[in-house]
Amino acid sequence: MSGYNVRKLKEKLFLFLIGALTVLMFFPLFHIIYSVFKNGIHVILNRGATFITGTLSDGGIGPAIIGTFILVFLASLIGLPVAFLVGIYAYEYPESTLGKATKSLLQIMLEFPTILVGVFVMQILVVPMGTYSALAGALALAIIMMPYVAVYTHEAMRQIPFAYREAAFSLGLTRVKAVFRVLVPMAKRGILTGVLIGIAKVAGETAPLLFTVGGSYQTYQIGITKPVGAIPLLIYTLIQSPAKEYHEMAWGASLILLLIFLGIFIPVRLSLREVKL
Amino acid sequence: MKVDLKHILLPFVGFVLGLFVLMLLVYFYNSMPIFHREGLDIYLKNVWKAPEEPSREHYGVLAAIWGSIYTSVIAILITLPLSLAYSVFVVDYAPKRIKTWLIILSDVMAGLPTIIYGIWGVFVLVPLLKKIVMQPLHDHLSFLPLFSYPPITGFSYLSAGILLGIMVTPFASAIIREAYQMIPFTYREAIYSLGATRLEATKILLGYVKPAIYSGIILAFGRAIGETAAVSLVIGNTFNLSLALFAPGYTISSLIANQFGNAFIYEYMTSALFAAGLVLFAIGLVVNLAGIYLLRRWEANVRL
Repeated sequence: MSGYNVRKLKEKLFLFLIGALTVLMFFPLFHIIYSVFKNGIHVILNRGATFITGTLSDGGIGPAIIGTFILVFLASLIGLPVAFLVGIYAYEYPESTLGKATKSLLQIMLEFPTILVGVFVMQILVVPMGTYSALAGALALAIIMMPYVAVYTHEAMRQIPFAYREAAFSLGLTRVKAVFRVLVPMAKRGILTGVLIGIAKVAGETAPLLFTVGGSYQTYQIGITKPVGAIPLLIYTLIQSPAKEYHEMAWGASLILLLIFLGIFIPVRLSLREVKL
Repeated sequence: MKVDLKHILLPFVGFVLGLFVLMLLVYFYNSMPIFHREGLDIYLKNVWKAPEEPSREHYGVLAAIWGSIYTSVIAILITLPLSLAYSVFVVDYAPKRIKTWLIILSDVMAGLPTIIYGIWGVFVLVPLLKKIVMQPLHDHLSFLPLFSYPPITGFSYLSAGILLGIMVTPFASAIIREAYQMIPFTYREAIYSLGATRLEATKILLGYVKPAIYSGIILAFGRAIGETAAVSLVIGNTFNLSLALFAPGYTISSLIANQFGNAFIYEYMTSALFAAGLVLFAIGLVVNLAGIYLLRRWEANVRL
């Protein structure tokens, strides 16, 4: 009888423990969001619109916001078409050696240390060009974005029942037309999800930009061969400066970045059941 | 004319594969000068001498390799209990509505920009850890080598390891939860019909998903070792080779982040950093391949 009670007691303890550990796991997330709002909101309210539009000497992070948008746009331009087609290849030729290699490579790239991508792009683009540029940053981000989009494309295509494939071919369509006219439109929702997850991910990347974009916060520079800024990189730089007011700006910039991330991520996440990060 | 799908797609697949191979080659090629100069000592010694004359430069990145491994091990020690508890709680005990939200929150945590973890780590986590964990432990237990280093700034292996643990937990959680969810219901019925308590049942069920747990932890380790921005803000960036948890250190990624920008001034420093990157490359490749291989084997087993 006492053995039974010990078992019951252990069970109670176990249930309490897993509940407590789950709460503990999420506590940092809530504390992070709370801290970013608490420390960021008054900076933004104090400076008003200047914070969004002004340059660093005005007390704003405008060039960084524009820079992030330019970088994400260019990275999408480079990365999306390639990633989409690579995803299609992994779906269409899953059993071929190259198809298997592609799938493994995508998984590896998904986990790959992003700083290594940044250093690589610096060596092949920044050094020969002799200047930091939006183009170099965009290429680094494109490489990081690719596996997300490709894996999502692959998964979305795999969800289509095989009967549609048979139907498309039975109409006498070529493989090209069957894939691009019939199957891809059916998977467009899943593919779009991948695109948005990829964008949300690279918009917050810091390490690949360290040695590629240069960071320009005092002027607005438009041009793909010119240095640009980016919000995450600006935060990284501001934190490392000793000035207290720069730390405050870093919190403000973090709030903007958090809002951009949540603005993309939450709607996407709510519209589907599972995501892969 | 009939266009073959393969011919449209192959150039792009080739481009991505080529890019990856080119990346590996760039790291090898640029590491060569330091290999010729230092030999294997670049990985076996902890020196960082960067004078102006190239003949007196000497580099060994052992401290950074040690720091990367040490902090990532601390991280997975934190990740393991959290992700196991989370998986069991979400799959077995959480009501459906809460379950959905817990999964969404975990995804938000996984996707959150790492620099936001970084700013929170610097201004919130490190001062907190210094006050309530490091200082008391150092005051009372400083005779233990682990706690012997006085926590002056708080930037240390421990801070970096804990921050990494928080950051990589959702990745391990997602993998373990998915596997745990796939266990056929009949197994649960069988276990409970034998009169097992929930604790005993969970132990058996977790044993069943062991490969997925290993895989989740290995992949979390891979994420932790490659993380840069947040870590380089809290690790302290000092060439240390120490077991002391409260000592500042370096990781491979934070070494590159800190030194690469001005490395071109010196003859060999860039090359030394590429050699460090090459190690990270190799670790990343091996760790991820192992994790993916385990996961695939487990998935194949379940499908049968």
